[in-house]
Amino acid sequence: MPELDNGHPADDPAGDQVSPVEALPAASRAYGTIDVRSEHPRWGMAVDLERCIGCWTCAVICKSENAVPLGMWWNRILTAGAAIDTPATDEHGRMDLHWLPLACQHCDDAPCEKVCPTSATWINAEGLVLVNQDDCIGCRYCMAACPYGVRVFNWGDAEYPLPEGTGMVAPRPVGSVEKCTMCVHRLADEQVPSCVWSCPAQARIFGDLNAADSRLVQMLDSRNPSILLEEKGTRPKVSYLEPRRRRPLLDETADYLNDGEDQ
Amino acid sequence: MTVQTPTLEPAVGPLAAVSHPRAWTVWITVLAVGLLIGFGSFIYQWTNGLAVTGLSNTITWGLYIVAFMFLVGVSAGGLIVVAGAELAGSHRFEHINRLAVVCSVAAVATAAGTILPDLGRPQRAWKMILQPNLTSPLVWDMAVLTIYLVIGAIDLWILTRVPVPRKALRVMAIVSLPVAILVHSVTAWIFGLLVARPFWNTPLLAPLFISSALVSGTALVVVTGHVVERFTTFRVGQSVYAGLRRLLLWFVAADVFLLFTEVMTTFVSGEPDHRDQLDILLTGRLAPVFWGEIILGVAVPVVVLLSRAGSRPAMLTVSSVLLLLGVFAKRVNILFAAEFEPLVGLAPGIPGGRAGQPFRPDEVYIPTWVESGVLIGMAAFFFTILTIGVQRAVLPHHDGGVDE
Repeated sequence: MPELDNGHPADDPAGDQVSPVEALPAASRAYGTIDVRSEHPRWGMAVDLERCIGCWTCAVICKSENAVPLGMWWNRILTAGAAIDTPATDEHGRMDLHWLPLACQHCDDAPCEKVCPTSATWINAEGLVLVNQDDCIGCRYCMAACPYGVRVFNWGDAEYPLPEGTGMVAPRPVGSVEKCTMCVHRLADEQVPSCVWSCPAQARIFGDLNAADSRLVQMLDSRNPSILLEEKGTRPKVSYLEPRRRRPLLDETADYLNDGEDQ
Repeated sequence: MTVQTPTLEPAVGPLAAVSHPRAWTVWITVLAVGLLIGFGSFIYQWTNGLAVTGLSNTITWGLYIVAFMFLVGVSAGGLIVVAGAELAGSHRFEHINRLAVVCSVAAVATAAGTILPDLGRPQRAWKMILQPNLTSPLVWDMAVLTIYLVIGAIDLWILTRVPVPRKALRVMAIVSLPVAILVHSVTAWIFGLLVARPFWNTPLLAPLFISSALVSGTALVVVTGHVVERFTTFRVGQSVYAGLRRLLLWFVAADVFLLFTEVMTTFVSGEPDHRDQLDILLTGRLAPVFWGEIILGVAVPVVVLLSRAGSRPAMLTVSSVLLLLGVFAKRVNILFAAEFEPLVGLAPGIPGGRAGQPFRPDEVYIPTWVESGVLIGMAAFFFTILTIGVQRAVLPHHDGGVDE
């Protein structure tokens, strides 16, 4: 399981084991505190596509929070269109910007967990799909099985922008698979994942799916959420809230049917 | 003719059967060099990580898995032909049954070995045995491959007794046929049970793996038989060649039919993701491999097999080599058609995985020399087992003259 990186500057220089979260200014800490939790939480997330501005802050902070080496991403922003800098256009030639932030969907019925030959991928009591690096033999079957393509493999020695590395968790060994942990190390401190905390547009809502009064559950109830690749039956705990005033992104069929009529 | 009189001459040893000493020396040298290259490449890869391969987070499985699928398939022929003939009450293939089983054993052993270099951490492979996750098709496959290997070894032991215990052989045939079918099905299910890969996720994948296995397995028996015949006193015989030729035609017919129904259904009515992956084969980046397979790996050998030339052992062997190449191409197609087109394909795609490597929505995969080296090693390993098997189990028990 993730360990605190003692070399991190946020640690107390005197050697007192102060967690980086505790070292945060009180206001930041309060901002990132999980709102409500039930007795047996089931963590989930909603991504509000109406608010997402495609800035990649969540993707970058994820890398530094979790010591994700160069060339690897646990969290990234997909763009409709040919490339990041070549967005899609609508039928009138106008820019049609849509983003789809994508990380592990923490499926209830996770294909990766079923196919892992050593049970290195497991689902914890709070519903998070995690990888026990000790048991991972690097067969990459989970990567073939994941419909979302969110797992990354440690092909060789990790490289970081800073020689001493970054992150609040221990780096993963060469030859093992890794992915989003929903910042399980922060949850222990009652803090929301880094991507949620850092989003400048507040497009991510994290919370306990079992707590009826959590903001997450209320948002999901009021906004008619979409699930990515719902037909695959993976039952993700990450939902997408479609833009209310713009063309829906996820359901291409609906897009096709609404053509020329929407707005 | 069927149960040979023992011609074992332990003092002279199996080498006595080799009629081309120089060819033998060359062959042994080639095998040794191949094993060295393979071992060296594997160690190099192990110390440097899979970064030295051409694989990435999009193409996570490559040449090793192609080789795995191919070798598991190739192992079929032996046991199915032998056990099938035994159960059908045919004695036609009796004097090549040791050869066929040797082919199977060599293929299964090599296939199992192929998984090791594909692992990121081979030093932890034991965890698969000591703490298996029973919902993983990879664990099922490990189990059936082990059973299959044991059955092959027992078969070989029975077949080298003098005289061959008929009853034991029949029991083994009854046991091994369902296991053989299971081996190919489970290997297909490693791929076919994944919702993430529409191209694999078809119920036809297991039948397709079985039909391809029958084609390639039988073809391997033909090629091995002919080569051994060429260099030793071993004789396959016209009647066996004729039988194998007919079997090959039936198996190819079944294989082509299954492929056709799969392609037809997907082409006309497949759901879009499945159709996209098929298009990679029909008109996309893998089209040369796909159509090359259809023409050189199916059409040409079938025409040769149907023509009068097909009755000549040399032409039968050439056709078999083409069929083997065709099945190999088919494995390439099956693996990469699904990997080239990830389900969530929006830009910028899946991260490459190494520092400086870009995101790759549009993936290419070129095996590196390390992968080629390991593959050479696997081939050498396969041929080493095959050679030892032929030396120890086939030649000493062969009376040298089967003529009809």
